[in-house]
Amino acid sequence: MVRISVLQHAPEQHLPTRPGDPTPQSRNLNPLMHPFARARERTRALNAAKLDRIFAKPFVAALEGHMDAIETMAKQPDSMVNVASGSWGGGTYSNISCRMVLTDGSTDVIMHNLSTRQVTKKILQAHKGKITGLSYASADRLLSCGVDRTIKMWSIGEENSESVLTQAQNIFPGKAAFNAIDHHRSDRLFATASNIVQIWDETKTSPISNLTFPTSTETITALKFNLAESSILASCGSDRTFTLYDIRTSKAERRVVMNFQSTSLSWSPTLPTLLLLASEDHNLYTFDVRHLDRPTQIYKAHSSAVMSCDWSPTGTEFVSGGWDKTVRIWQFKDGKGVQRPEVYHTKRMQRVTSTVFSGDARFVLSGSDDGNVRIWKAKASEKLGVVTARERAAIEYRSKLKERWSVDSEVSRITRSRHLPKAVRSTDKLKHTMLEARRVKEERRRKHTRAGDSKPKAEKKKIVVAEQT
Amino acid sequence: MDSLFAKADAIKPLAKRRKTTHHDSSSSTAKKIKDAKADFTAQSVTKHTSIPKSLLPTSPEPSNDSTPKYSHIANKKLRGELQRQTAHNARAKALVDESADMLLVEDAGKMEVEGEMDRTWRTSQDEIAKAAGQEAAKGRRELRLDGGPYRTRYTRNGRHLAIAGRHGHVAAFDWQTGALHTELQLQETCRDITFLQDHTYFAVAQKKYVYIYDRDGVELHCLKSHIEPTRLEFLPYHWLLASVGNAGYLKYQDTSTGQLLVEHRTKLGSCTTMTQNLHNAVIHLGHQNGCITLWTPNLPHPAVQLLAHLGPVSSVSIDASSGGRYMASAGKDGTVKVWDCRNWKGSVREWSTRGAGSEVEVEWSQRGFLGVASGGSVNVYSPPTIQQQFNGHVQPPLYLTHPIPSRPLTSLRFTPFQDVLTIGHNAGVSSILVPGSGEPNFDSSEADPFESRKARREREVKGLLDKIQPELITLDPEFIGTLSEPSKLVTSDGKPATELPYARLPRFDKLRVSGKVDTTEDGDSDDETGGDAEGEGEGEESRKARKEEKEKKRMRGKNNSMKRYLRKQRKNVIDPATVAIRTKLEKMKEEKRQAMLVKKGIVEEKKKSSALDRFKRKT
Repeated sequence: MVRISVLQHAPEQHLPTRPGDPTPQSRNLNPLMHPFARARERTRALNAAKLDRIFAKPFVAALEGHMDAIETMAKQPDSMVNVASGSWGGGTYSNISCRMVLTDGSTDVIMHNLSTRQVTKKILQAHKGKITGLSYASADRLLSCGVDRTIKMWSIGEENSESVLTQAQNIFPGKAAFNAIDHHRSDRLFATASNIVQIWDETKTSPISNLTFPTSTETITALKFNLAESSILASCGSDRTFTLYDIRTSKAERRVVMNFQSTSLSWSPTLPTLLLLASEDHNLYTFDVRHLDRPTQIYKAHSSAVMSCDWSPTGTEFVSGGWDKTVRIWQFKDGKGVQRPEVYHTKRMQRVTSTVFSGDARFVLSGSDDGNVRIWKAKASEKLGVVTARERAAIEYRSKLKERWSVDSEVSRITRSRHLPKAVRSTDKLKHTMLEARRVKEERRRKHTRAGDSKPKAEKKKIVVAEQT
Repeated sequence: MDSLFAKADAIKPLAKRRKTTHHDSSSSTAKKIKDAKADFTAQSVTKHTSIPKSLLPTSPEPSNDSTPKYSHIANKKLRGELQRQTAHNARAKALVDESADMLLVEDAGKMEVEGEMDRTWRTSQDEIAKAAGQEAAKGRRELRLDGGPYRTRYTRNGRHLAIAGRHGHVAAFDWQTGALHTELQLQETCRDITFLQDHTYFAVAQKKYVYIYDRDGVELHCLKSHIEPTRLEFLPYHWLLASVGNAGYLKYQDTSTGQLLVEHRTKLGSCTTMTQNLHNAVIHLGHQNGCITLWTPNLPHPAVQLLAHLGPVSSVSIDASSGGRYMASAGKDGTVKVWDCRNWKGSVREWSTRGAGSEVEVEWSQRGFLGVASGGSVNVYSPPTIQQQFNGHVQPPLYLTHPIPSRPLTSLRFTPFQDVLTIGHNAGVSSILVPGSGEPNFDSSEADPFESRKARREREVKGLLDKIQPELITLDPEFIGTLSEPSKLVTSDGKPATELPYARLPRFDKLRVSGKVDTTEDGDSDDETGGDAEGEGEGEESRKARKEEKEKKRMRGKNNSMKRYLRKQRKNVIDPATVAIRTKLEKMKEEKRQAMLVKKGIVEEKKKSSALDRFKRKT
């Protein structure tokens, strides 16, 4: 006797029971059923990388309105949409998006609404000369300072209607031209930078304290309050230094002298001791203020001086804008190396003087010498608008594929390569040649000195010249 | 400042939690407090900092004792990465094991004997059909057609069948429902037929050219570059149509772009046997002189060539159930051989078929059953024994046999995902039931016999997007995604040439890499420095003389052809060939020296020890 059974598929298991039902799917995970699984996955990763580049359209909008170069920008701390920008002309606007008719060439501060891309407020003739600093005191008050040695507080109101302000709520006279201003996070205090750092009370017309490092004779160019410990203040100045102050003791606590001047600084929103510095030597540095003898990381990519920097509210990335007319977005990896940054540029964008990360971490704003505020996506190929669940799953699958095959030469080449303007590229090349020559020279010099006479110095240790307390 | 330092580790991005090296006792309490009170800032950023929901693992992590700890690895980063990877792999494997009984719902067919004296091959088709039940018994069919011996071909999902008669009768139909798609009378010789990506297109090898028809039988393309084709194969993941013809040219046509990718001249004459290895897309050709050659589009010569039979090869087939490891070949001399594709030294087993005329056809099923059509019958052999090494020249144990009187039997095809074997012969097409030959569980993403029109379209688009480039066809398909071998080239100081970037290479290696090194200069430099050291302290004249002498010597040395060869080879690259030659030269020198010494009587010649030495008297 022979027992026989013959394979038989039951159609009712594999066909939809009613018309319109989804067809049942069956799976067999045996690898022999999936020939070329790896090769096909690589093709998919390659396609994902290419799609990513195809969809990379980072530019969202340009907000016009200023007649002159934008000097400074500030975002409202508890708002997703409100941003103010101030220009050389001396006026300030707040809120992003500008469709307006300019009647006067000297509008200085514009307040923009990011979501509607409308101008919400304009301040005409805010200061004489350029506006150097802007800071939101609260949702309805804006502080501005300028080279005309005054600080002005503007009542901007809550309503979103477009209006023009001309009269300041309060005017604080100073003795020297101001370079930067920052409002305290919780108290009604603010700090200004001129040749010294001054702390002001909103209700008093003269500064409540002057902070300066004993031996300092410099001009302070930027300052920021720490976000977690709000009495700590950091500033950087023309003496190639950055200084930490505590406003409770009214003292400068530490000062670090570096090789080059820093132009801008920003405190990390998530790691309270982490300070980001934009330097004129084309690099950015993160310092852990507990260990000031060296930066925790050096960020090299700009081909000219870095003019501004700002952390994303997530603390995982930051943006920088430079004299080389590019905006770069960096991933912060906490001491685990540096990825090549994302780089944005357009034909008409001039030197980027100020950059801001939006409150929802999805957009980046850049203000440049051509008088436009530009909105960019933080992730170049991100889709704006409604994303369906299926689409999201596909996007996530694609990003995972790219990550998995990132070591593949072809995939990495596609994800890495960026088009750069000719000027930036040639400067990069020249810079590389110069640095390489310098390195080779140093190497040869070492080779021809007595063994052990001069040791190579780590790059990080070359940055800090002196640490003073 | 101290208050700031105290806050340093309190708030952190969720995804990038850093190990706290500056640890104090208060941090644990602080953590508890933080856990107790929900942090709104943290919640607002989780969307951007955490792993997306669709990528979160759905199953728990495997128990810790099963995964290795890698405690012997000092590098923390590497150890962590390895542990993460093994945990991930273990989880994936557990998931697959767990899902097997959930996903693989259908059982394979089988035929088993109960008594010791019973034999499965004694069972006739009528008995099998009776035992199979109504639906499965439909697989047993006989199509009486005139139009010569038939070639048959299934789609990858086993649903559709195309047949081509020698005298021009071509038909394509849905094999399950029996619905005819098209029937053509082409009025000229048709030698082979194959479906392209699915049943909507098929290609026919006709008298002069290859033609492509759509499902309704409309002629779409005439591929005039394929002249007098005899066999066709379609590589589904590369979208390549391969043909070989009477002229002995193997041609690859890309069906997605329409380009003729490459044509290889086999130089072995007319070829009538072709098959593909599903797992690495290598084409196997059988030739008139008994050779089997393996081809990829990238090599102008065969990747492997072996003399398989004494006389023409009539059929070749690859076992897909073992991942393309075994190949069966049949010759017109009547022998069938099974080969191991990893090691071509001799066949795994071979036997002669009985009553073989000229044509012997072989074909593997999805589950590794080997069908052999010879003379007037079809024999099927079952998997474990057929692939095992056996030295005798006898037939392996038979699983099933079926006589078909209408010779010749020209085509043998197992239906994918069915227990059916379709035989094309002189009087039409007949199909028999072979229990156990078909894979019971199909995968809808690869090939689904029940797929709807929408799913078919979707799969076609996906297939085009996932098309693999033809350059990636190699004998080993797993080389993609593996690490490349380290280079065998080394620089003059013994380091691998690729390790150092160009900028950090020593000057000489830099010149060598950029091709600017003057090879005639080097090699003598050490002689010169040696000479300088010797000549120190001596007079100017003697030094001059010495130099002249040296130059003379050098000139004399150049006449040696072997030395010249070595000098050309020596470019500061330690080449295995050069090293071998150098050692050989040294050995020869040493032997010469020894011989000289023996001749002079300084050293006694060593005699070879012989078996008789043990009887030598010790004096």
